Amino acid sequence: MSTTAAAPAAVIQTERLSKWYGQVIGLNDVTVAVPPGVTGLLGPNGAGKSTFLKLITGQLRPSQGTVRVLGEPIWNRPALFRRIGFCPEQDAFYDRMTGLDWVAALLRLNGLDEPASREAAARALEVVQLTDAAGRKIGGYSKGMRQRLKLAQAIAHDPELLVLDEPLSGLDPIARRHAIRLIRDWGRNGRSLIVSSHVLHEVEMMTSDILLINNGRILAEGNVHQIRDLIDEHPHTVHIRADQPRGLARLLLAADDVLSLKFGDGSVTVETAKPDVFYGRLTALAASGEAGPIHEVTSPDDNLQAVFRYLVK
Amino acid sequence: MGPRTGLDGRTPFWTAAVRVFDLSLGEMLWSRRTILLLLLVGAPVVLAIAIRLLQAFGLPGMQVQGVRVAGPDLFGVIIWVLFIRFVVPVLGVFYGTALIADEVDDRTITYLFTRPIPRGAVLVGKYLAYLACTALITLPAVAVVYFVIVPPGGSIAATFPKLVVDLGLIAAGLAVYGSLFAFIGAWLNRPLIVGLVFAFGWEPIVMAVPGYLRHLTIAYYLQALVPQAMPQDSTVSLLQSLFRDLPTPATSLVSLAVIGVGFLILAARVVSSREYVLEP
Repeated sequence: MSTTAAAPAAVIQTERLSKWYGQVIGLNDVTVAVPPGVTGLLGPNGAGKSTFLKLITGQLRPSQGTVRVLGEPIWNRPALFRRIGFCPEQDAFYDRMTGLDWVAALLRLNGLDEPASREAAARALEVVQLTDAAGRKIGGYSKGMRQRLKLAQAIAHDPELLVLDEPLSGLDPIARRHAIRLIRDWGRNGRSLIVSSHVLHEVEMMTSDILLINNGRILAEGNVHQIRDLIDEHPHTVHIRADQPRGLARLLLAADDVLSLKFGDGSVTVETAKPDVFYGRLTALAASGEAGPIHEVTSPDDNLQAVFRYLVK
Repeated sequence: MGPRTGLDGRTPFWTAAVRVFDLSLGEMLWSRRTILLLLLVGAPVVLAIAIRLLQAFGLPGMQVQGVRVAGPDLFGVIIWVLFIRFVVPVLGVFYGTALIADEVDDRTITYLFTRPIPRGAVLVGKYLAYLACTALITLPAVAVVYFVIVPPGGSIAATFPKLVVDLGLIAAGLAVYGSLFAFIGAWLNRPLIVGLVFAFGWEPIVMAVPGYLRHLTIAYYLQALVPQAMPQDSTVSLLQSLFRDLPTPATSLVSLAVIGVGFLILAARVVSSREYVLEP
């Protein structure tokens, strides 16, 4: 007698899934099964990542094909959202509300009563390190704080599946490191998460399982390390907004991982051949405060575009 | 306490609607649109105060064809011409068509549509917030106009029941116009133009023409419930009175209820089945 371990049921399953916006194809004939755990959805801007995430969160109806999330069709099935948390890409809030009031109000839509919703909201804000700002109006939050607030509303009801659309965008290095740790821990706790990004390096720090998407098609599924070598052949660009960009640049140039530097208004754009080493140093510099406050780190999608050009050749 | 859910795991419809109402009311009250609301309802109040001041300074009151219009009649004219035929439809158009459109434009709709609540409850909750917001500002303004205009020529004790009817009428107007325009807002991509054409094109034209078409307006049913007699001194109004075929109050009330509830249900159904693509 032989026994075989059953493959874990996919948390997201799509069958020939397509989405058109009039004449424009957003997603094209995608058949994919996303296993439990943390999965990165990697692709340049306009690749179809957000369309894919909107389809799997029931915000869009498929033009063709099917989507099942946690075993059930998602379109027009609001009950499923008790088990799903979604952090959208757009920077949109009820700016007149405080962070605590907003997250609590959304939790009340999940059926929690007033005390339970405020308690759960406070817990979520603590997880994203926004406790101190919980009573302040969202309109006064920095971009990084707003990003963390979006994350808080997504995790506050403790969902089985978390869907994050570019969650690290606009975060400073410290908050970025914290968010990455939160995402990794989410997976380690046996829950599932799908996270989109156009920065391979970010995804790689969260998970090794990726879906590679471009022009509305899934190009590859599997282990991130397989394309890692490809991306290392291309210089990686990082845009840093800081109070003292020249002081920061001087410190960054002390190591050989920086290929070039370009100054902007209150910012510096760095080209590096070793993103791992570079991001490590940048986080350490931010934590030490040696180069003054660092407000935002973004990575244009040029890095990934180069890899995709190579892959689709 | 655990989450309050229905058998299928959703937050029950009315619980969800009330919670969307809670979330939306503050946003609505503090929106830029409230400035429009204040200006609109402030205008009749300013007009009433101006008329009262003119009377206080010994100037003759308002006259139609040489006949002095008494306070209660003047109040009736303000209610019908300014409030019911102008303020109420304008508020209905601007708020009703924006119930979902505002959330889409602000890109906050995502947070509401990714919660375990029926989408229709989002529409109904926001509709209730619209009603509360507009009624909270409009009804006190009507009461102020009443107390400013009526006393010089009429008895408050005798006319107070009419004020109560007027307040109910305006609330009904806000509810029914709001419901119709909520449906138009949920259904069409450019609802504002359609709403304005209905309120200030279709309704005035059809109301002035004898025949069955006036049954396809909201004003027709509201008109039958106005407690004050309209001034009948001009030739035009005399002619209009010949063709006036107002429904009974009971028919009007039932019709308004059917229109209001019907369009609200339709709006909720549209929101439930429609996808909203947010601009990047």
